[in-house]
Amino acid sequence: MSKQSDSEDFESADEGQTLQTKKEKKEIKKLAASTKNVEQTDGWDDFDIEETEAVEISKSNKKDETEKPTSQDTGWEAFDDWGENDNNKVEEVKPNTKSTKDVHKSQEQADIQAVTERLAAATTKNEGWGWGGWGVDSLLSTATAGISTLTSQVSQGISTVLETGIGAPDPEELARATKEKAVNQETNVEEQPTAQDTTFQFGSLLSGVTKFVETTGTKVISGGLDTLEVIGKKTMEVLQDGDPGLVKKRAMLGLDTEKPILSQILREAKERADEEDKMREAKREAKEVHYETLFDDFEGLVHLEALEMLSRQVSMRIEERLRSADADKRQDIKETMQQVAELCEMPEDDDDDDDDEEHGDSSKEDVFHERLQRATRDIGLKLQFQPLIKQYTDILQWLDATEVVNEKAIYKRAVSGLAQATALCVELYHKTAEMLLVKNRRSTADEADALTQLTVVLSKHVSEMATLFTEKLSKQPSEDKELINNYITNVFLEAGNSSKYVENAFQLTLPIIQIGAV
Amino acid sequence: MAYAYLFKYIIIGDTGVGKSCLLLQFTDKRFQPVHDLTIGVEFGARMITIDGKQIKLQIWDTAGQEAFRSITRSYYRGAAGALLVYDITRRDTFNHLTTWLEDARQHSNSNMVIMLIGNKSDLESRREVKKEEGEAFAREHGLVFMETFKRECLILTMRRMALRSVLSTRRQEALAPAVRVLAVQRAGAAVRCCAAHTERAKRG
Repeated sequence: MSKQSDSEDFESADEGQTLQTKKEKKEIKKLAASTKNVEQTDGWDDFDIEETEAVEISKSNKKDETEKPTSQDTGWEAFDDWGENDNNKVEEVKPNTKSTKDVHKSQEQADIQAVTERLAAATTKNEGWGWGGWGVDSLLSTATAGISTLTSQVSQGISTVLETGIGAPDPEELARATKEKAVNQETNVEEQPTAQDTTFQFGSLLSGVTKFVETTGTKVISGGLDTLEVIGKKTMEVLQDGDPGLVKKRAMLGLDTEKPILSQILREAKERADEEDKMREAKREAKEVHYETLFDDFEGLVHLEALEMLSRQVSMRIEERLRSADADKRQDIKETMQQVAELCEMPEDDDDDDDDEEHGDSSKEDVFHERLQRATRDIGLKLQFQPLIKQYTDILQWLDATEVVNEKAIYKRAVSGLAQATALCVELYHKTAEMLLVKNRRSTADEADALTQLTVVLSKHVSEMATLFTEKLSKQPSEDKELINNYITNVFLEAGNSSKYVENAFQLTLPIIQIGAV
Repeated sequence: MAYAYLFKYIIIGDTGVGKSCLLLQFTDKRFQPVHDLTIGVEFGARMITIDGKQIKLQIWDTAGQEAFRSITRSYYRGAAGALLVYDITRRDTFNHLTTWLEDARQHSNSNMVIMLIGNKSDLESRREVKKEEGEAFAREHGLVFMETFKRECLILTMRRMALRSVLSTRRQEALAPAVRVLAVQRAGAAVRCCAAHTERAKRG
């Protein structure tokens, strides 16, 4: 525990000592206002408002007390309920608990005193108790003490906070107080039969401390918020007392003097409607250029799904073969699988820009076609690259077109172009996988090599396509540089997305390559 | 395109019975058949509106060739319905129906609706399978039956099938609210919630 809490405890001890000696008159006066049963006073009822459970338990303790006043343990258990400072109080009171009925009665008195002491605390700042000692609970009990005095007390309490410069009550303190209270409730319940054993209390306190440390985090937040909420609610209650909706008070403050002007209201309503329309339009447009939706529309998603199904089924078949094989054979299969997987590892990015120069005068789409064919030369299948080439050609033509388009149109075309290219890539992997599965003679190493090369080419393809679009975007003569930059960033993000889909599709194809070798 | 539900239907049957043709009739998609024979699976989709909700019917048109049989088997999962197609002018395609049906039953979930379609009913002069035979087979195996070659007829039937799927999904949703989330997200409720079914069926 921190130093801070030590000092708190010290202050609490102070409180315990002063309880029985100070301000008895005041307490009695306050008590007179309440009913004869302690637990029915406002102060008591509201005291533990943030922890109803605690209130219940302490109430039952109180009842115990009244039922069998001679019981030695109930008295100081109820005392425990007073809150954060009880470990010290326990020490203080211990001798009392072992003494006579009279002492016990005075003990009970002390309990009452503790409540009223707190009630009085906020009004008597000069008592010299630090805020640290009794924390927000006191503020809380003040706030809930009684409706008649509440307003002044709350404001006083708040001004005290401001004056002392502590600011808002430390959430840690708050949590500590709340938690310790809860912990003490627990120990009470556990201890009922063995309450006479004084050392036990100490031990459970220790465990309580560790428990508290574990759960402080959540308590800090809930405790703090609960307290604020209670204060706020009570304040509103008082303010609205006899004045629902604060009509009179607002009238008094002159807040409602301005009479509504119909035209003004109508204008505002129209503005609001326009705003909503704009937002709806923006949403619709956002949907229009939504990469995943477009990818789905271009059948990328369904090809990916089908490829996943194939991949899963083939993986299951491999598993089956592994299961049915004997130990030696199993090891052999595993090694083969590993080797194929290694063959399919993506090579490091070595910029082979030289092959761009080779095709100096051929068109971009031809270069792309050439690359695809070279990559898959040895795969032993007749793959259909036409859809990919055609899509690329369309995009290149669109980009070269001289007609002036705005940046938004370029952006839309870029996202949809990337989504379509990616969908076609996934389709290519799916088709390749299907054809490999019905292929008569498998040549695993060649297939692995070809598909790895293909993946390199396709990844390069989508990133090149993105670059073409971003170049076009950055050449755009526009005032709104920020918008253009946003678009450029998004295009690159979607290109990254595309690469991921492509690599994912390649990974899904891996078992289909592997099964050819095992 | 946004949709509230997505239902997957799979077209199966011998090669050459006109499965891809049915797909073309049903969807407005203009695809260029680069190859005459379907490789693995081709896709088509059509949006319909039921109860003001957009519903995407996604058709998986499988290859009928024997070589692709095992691939086709891995595509049944998650299908809300199957269109089992034979050619009324070829008796053998009708005779193979039982094996197709076995495949479908074994690799899909139990509540998949299966519709039997006697295709090419415009070629009456070359008919080898009587309409009554198709009806009898359907009755025996609990299938929905129709003979067709007309686009309108097919679309109407598919709509009815989709309605059944919606109803059955609603029933599942009532039983398990979590299913709805998956259903709305994509891929149809059946895909995910029937995974367990399929696994169990395989083991059993």
